[in-house]
Amino acid sequence: MLTSFGRAFRTPELRNKILFTLAIMALFRLGSHIPTPGISFDLVKKCQEAATGSGSLLGLANLFSGGALLQLSIFALGIMPYITASIIVQLLTVVIPRFEQLKKEGQSGQAKMTQYTRYLTIALALLQSSTLITAARNPSSILGGSPATCSTIMPDDSIPTILIMIITLTAATGLIMWLGEQVTERGIGNGMSLLILTAVAASVPQSIWAIRDQGWGKFLIVVVMGLAITTAVVFVENSQRRIPVQYAKRMIGRRSYGGTTTYIPLKVNMANVIPIIFATSLLSLPMLVAQFQGSSTNPPKWVEIINTYFARGDHPLYMAVYTVLIVFFTFFYVSITYQPDEVADNLKQAGSFIPGVRAGSSTAKYLSYVLNRITTVGAIYIAVLALIPLIALALVNANQNFPFGGASILILVGVGLETVKQVDSKLQQHNYEGFLR
Amino acid sequence: MDILKIALQVLLVLSSLFLTMLILMHKGSGGGLSDMFGGGSGATMGGSSMAERNLNRITVGAAGLWFAAIIGLGLVERFN
Repeated sequence: MLTSFGRAFRTPELRNKILFTLAIMALFRLGSHIPTPGISFDLVKKCQEAATGSGSLLGLANLFSGGALLQLSIFALGIMPYITASIIVQLLTVVIPRFEQLKKEGQSGQAKMTQYTRYLTIALALLQSSTLITAARNPSSILGGSPATCSTIMPDDSIPTILIMIITLTAATGLIMWLGEQVTERGIGNGMSLLILTAVAASVPQSIWAIRDQGWGKFLIVVVMGLAITTAVVFVENSQRRIPVQYAKRMIGRRSYGGTTTYIPLKVNMANVIPIIFATSLLSLPMLVAQFQGSSTNPPKWVEIINTYFARGDHPLYMAVYTVLIVFFTFFYVSITYQPDEVADNLKQAGSFIPGVRAGSSTAKYLSYVLNRITTVGAIYIAVLALIPLIALALVNANQNFPFGGASILILVGVGLETVKQVDSKLQQHNYEGFLR
Repeated sequence: MDILKIALQVLLVLSSLFLTMLILMHKGSGGGLSDMFGGGSGATMGGSSMAERNLNRITVGAAGLWFAAIIGLGLVERFN
């Protein structure tokens, strides 16, 4: 383990890639601490001290920006607009025929879709930064606390200053996107996911340390539990069902090709964090609507219902709705990204087949049967994992971004494994160990 | 001090617009959502073209200018 780390740094090409990636990550973290021009950092701090740990509304967005969102730093929006844009483009492939066509075109179509995603990211960044700055004019609504202790965080809220802030935040989002692409190109791993990893990992020590305030015993239990959960997640992330595929033997000229056996890997957790992102965003909507009514002295009945059941994550009804939504979105997302008909078609064209299953429609039927069974397990797994932070919230009073569960651990483990795998494959190109050693 | 602040603000706006434009001119890499959260094949091959490399240089320059304007504005705010 350690020797391979040493070897990774002794290989010049790999060392440069790793150092480049680390440098970009450091730059990303640095930008998360520089306040946007026009925002007074002292006032933001004062507001945060006055706040009493609420603000679950922006929980996920804040987590994905590494805490930069609620500090209103230049990288406040972080990678979130890009994620949203990717989700939208992904969903549009089902709805719009042109996008579906682009997807089928392969490499060049994918490049075009990436280009659309980039334009959409900038548009979304413009929208989200306007929303954020507008909300920041009344800071107690997003930072928590009362309007008395936290009246403003902008010394000057004239129109030009606000416009400058919006433009700056939009440019920063573009810059983050570009940094991510540079990592993908010249560094190691997928840049975008590594930047999300950086943001998520940055909040981990803080949230663990916050548990220590309730005594060392609890702290120790949480850490041990966390290690156990991490091990389990690593195990499940690596598990897959392998459907055997037999290639037909062909004679081309005097040579024979094919005749080999491979497999189609079906991961247990194919949808990854995406169901959690969907479910959380959807569940925060009623809260958002209720907030508009929050200031009135005699709120309507439905606002009361939302405030009792959906304001905090530890209510049983909230948990039940959350679980149902996650299971639904897991099936939804898998059905969008993995089409058994297409796979069956490709197999037929390549002259290969699954042993014991006829080619064509019965192969598609078999694949979707296996897929449904494995997704059921995967959906339950994601739902259980997503409930861990909510249970922790109820048991040890941890904060919303409890690191050993939900989106955090899926991102940490998933991206970490993927990156380590890439480093490993790069390392093997340089010194292959051979069969015997 | 006011003149410096206005000059920096103008610089910030110009460099922001320029930076956004430059970044949109790049050819994007990476393959969508499933690539981002695992499951992607990764390993994109091939180097970047000459145009892309020049664009990278200009982008780094614009980003530096943008960053300097932000830091400058922060300092003006601090020592005012």
